[in-house]
Amino acid sequence: MSDLRDEFLSEAQEIVESLSRDLLLLDQAHKDGSSSQDLVNEVFRAVHTLKGIAGMFGYARLGEVAHALEDLLDDLRLGRQNLTTELLDVLFEGVEVFQRLLAESPDAEVSEVDIVAFLEQLTSVGASRPPVEDALAAYAIDASVLAVLTEYEEHRLRTNVAKGVGLYRLKVRFSLATIDTQLEDLKARAKSIAEIITYLPSASGGDGDAIDLDVLLASSATPATLEDVLGGEGAVLERLTRGTSPVAPVRATEHHALVPPPPVRTPPRPTSAPPAPRMPSEPPLAKREVTADQLSLRSVAHTVRVDIRKLDHLMNVVGELAIVRTAVMRLTEKLRGRPELRQLAIDLHRINRGFERHLEELQDGILDVRMVPLGQTFDRLARIVRQVAREHDKEVALVVTGAETEIDKLIVEELSDPLMHLIRNAIDHGIEPPKTRELAGKPPGGTLVLNAYQKGNHVVIEIEDDGAGINPQVLIETAIRRGIVSEEAAADMGRDEALQLIFLPGFSTRLRASDLSGRGVGMDVVKTNIGRLGGVIDVQSEVGTGTKLTITLPVTLAIISALLVRVAEREYALPITAVQEAIVFDPKRVRRVEGREVVTLRGETLTICRLDELFRVQSKARGRRYLVVVAVGQKRMGLVVDGLEGQQDIVIKALGKSLSRVRGISGATDLGDQRVALVLDAPGLLDEVLSSPERALHEGRR
Amino acid sequence: MSELVKRPTLVPARPTSAESRAASLREVLAFALADEAYGFPLARVREILKLPPITPVPRAPRHVLGIVSVRGVITTVVDLRRLMRVEERPPEKHARILLVDVGGEVLGALVDEVLQVHRLAEDEVELAGVVGGDLSDHVIGVGRPRARRDQDQAGRELIVLLDPEPLFARLERG
Repeated sequence: MSDLRDEFLSEAQEIVESLSRDLLLLDQAHKDGSSSQDLVNEVFRAVHTLKGIAGMFGYARLGEVAHALEDLLDDLRLGRQNLTTELLDVLFEGVEVFQRLLAESPDAEVSEVDIVAFLEQLTSVGASRPPVEDALAAYAIDASVLAVLTEYEEHRLRTNVAKGVGLYRLKVRFSLATIDTQLEDLKARAKSIAEIITYLPSASGGDGDAIDLDVLLASSATPATLEDVLGGEGAVLERLTRGTSPVAPVRATEHHALVPPPPVRTPPRPTSAPPAPRMPSEPPLAKREVTADQLSLRSVAHTVRVDIRKLDHLMNVVGELAIVRTAVMRLTEKLRGRPELRQLAIDLHRINRGFERHLEELQDGILDVRMVPLGQTFDRLARIVRQVAREHDKEVALVVTGAETEIDKLIVEELSDPLMHLIRNAIDHGIEPPKTRELAGKPPGGTLVLNAYQKGNHVVIEIEDDGAGINPQVLIETAIRRGIVSEEAAADMGRDEALQLIFLPGFSTRLRASDLSGRGVGMDVVKTNIGRLGGVIDVQSEVGTGTKLTITLPVTLAIISALLVRVAEREYALPITAVQEAIVFDPKRVRRVEGREVVTLRGETLTICRLDELFRVQSKARGRRYLVVVAVGQKRMGLVVDGLEGQQDIVIKALGKSLSRVRGISGATDLGDQRVALVLDAPGLLDEVLSSPERALHEGRR
Repeated sequence: MSELVKRPTLVPARPTSAESRAASLREVLAFALADEAYGFPLARVREILKLPPITPVPRAPRHVLGIVSVRGVITTVVDLRRLMRVEERPPEKHARILLVDVGGEVLGALVDEVLQVHRLAEDEVELAGVVGGDLSDHVIGVGRPRARRDQDQAGRELIVLLDPEPLFARLERG
């Protein structure tokens, strides 16, 4: 049962995400004034499907909301509603409501989500909008014809009108005896150049042996071509042209109308006339939808949804297999020492090499499955940008690059909140109101750039705005006022150092809590969360020009290449992505600068950290020690260790809850033989070592 | 849990006269710590391990000995002597690690020796409220198993019954 529910949740989540993406495109199309009928259809279909599956899984409230939205979208689709910014707002709100409803148990007694309010909002948007001025009314189409169009035919008609495709009426006379074949022949001829919307017996009737048909066509071909293909004995082609209220831009070719524009409206036929028999030319709407659903089902059948925990488990098994491989290798080495078993050792070695290769493939395969493009997350952010910008009456254009960059699913999950916070911050604090921007000589609309790209084993995400920037002087003053730094310390602070202040706990430059960014979640939390993912965040800012935040993250946390180092007889694993180089440590070159130990490495000053002292473990090692240069983002330091034990792929495992607060350690890994090594938290250590004077002061003041 | 394969061998074979009394029995895994007998509710003990190599964790809370890998799962091991504030001593031959389910995390507890499983009847348990005095909140009460024909009473007739949650909550406080 819960499996089914999980299945539903993940499918519903996917639908809501694609809904959200389509709405953003629709929003864009609305702004550009381009055609959006296909998108509206997509959105309608998504909501329709959601309604269906919500019903099956007992999500009644979700179903209710989907149903109400579907009605609204149906009106939009069939042109009974105009696409407006207000309507888009409601649709976006609908996405939020869906997501909140999905987060709740459907059986929950009390719901946090007020769907009644939302439904009322929907109704009011639906009602407050007068029906669109009828674009079709501008065409010389008989009202009686319009009246008998099926919903689908009418929709096709409107779609073509909206796209600016020309409309034609072909009057043909068919002999009653051969009408079937003649009609088929006409359809076949028309197929390549025109869409037959409908055909109806003509109002002018016919005689005893023949019948006049009015065929309503939509075509982008020139009237001359149409005439060539469709014309013939008893056929009259007439172009239907628009009257005085154009809806879509009139294209140049449309001036070559066969017939001068007729009066705007033809007088309605007398009501006494019998309604013309309907001859459906296209399958009805409902039937079409079924086909569409089947199509989407078929495409889904090639993919499988997998619980990420299952992948974790598989990765664990791969880790255990790697341990087996090492054990076999050791045995092989032992066999080699026995001359009589030499051939056996060689064979075993070869087999083990094959095993190793396949194991690597397996590992890569599992890793690959875990990867998802950042695009999903970026879509969600685009919605936030739109919403926050509107709430603040700011104009913000979002430019996204590298949405296809892939990263571990688990990292993506944890990334949403920090990114959302940074985006809100950028719009709330960064980008100025249009008037202020104009005074500063900037374009009134701000630009928010979201870049993602892979760099080695890391993924870099940049969030850049062209807003007001951060003034380091203001940061320093605030920090002094809050007692976060002393005045003496502040005096020595460089510009970059001052910018780092925004990441300290309890720091916010805004006095009043904004309803957007100031929800008690500060940049320190963002930094902590990103650190937990093995990443770092850096800030660059220029007053008046803008701010750029750069997040550097590992591609995956599941398995990493690590350098094993030894400190006080214990092994520690250091992610290789954080290691720049390892050199022999020369204690004589250590100098003290501002309470820190540093060495000079190729002309650059490097702060060093003696791991045995930091960890308060007594190292009895005498003799040669090593300096491992660790770097993440822009930060660098040297770790002094007793020995280097080589490189190895490791599966990082979390420490239990009771040890989650231990600093400098991000997990542990099984090395085989019941040996367990701790994995060093490189970003955490860098942070601790490089900011220790500040931190010490900060903690001392508490 | 299937891991507790040792459980049947630990339960003393004993003729049970009335099955109905089973409901009021408390199953307790008794262990020794500095010459005292303590007990955890048996249902909370997932497994008993011989001592594997323990990897110490720098800057961990004081009571934590380190971590071990139990078939790939990293498990924190707590020195119960330190936690119970009794004199510390390096583990000896009979020392074992009890894997105890402590609401959401399985912790390893290092004990001197595993004694046996007791099934205590209601009248063999004095709850903390009745015992009175300054008992810590991690003590549920005291068990006094009666001498039974088929087993040897070696003078350890008092078992301090421990509640894992408040006991290990001390880890949080460091």
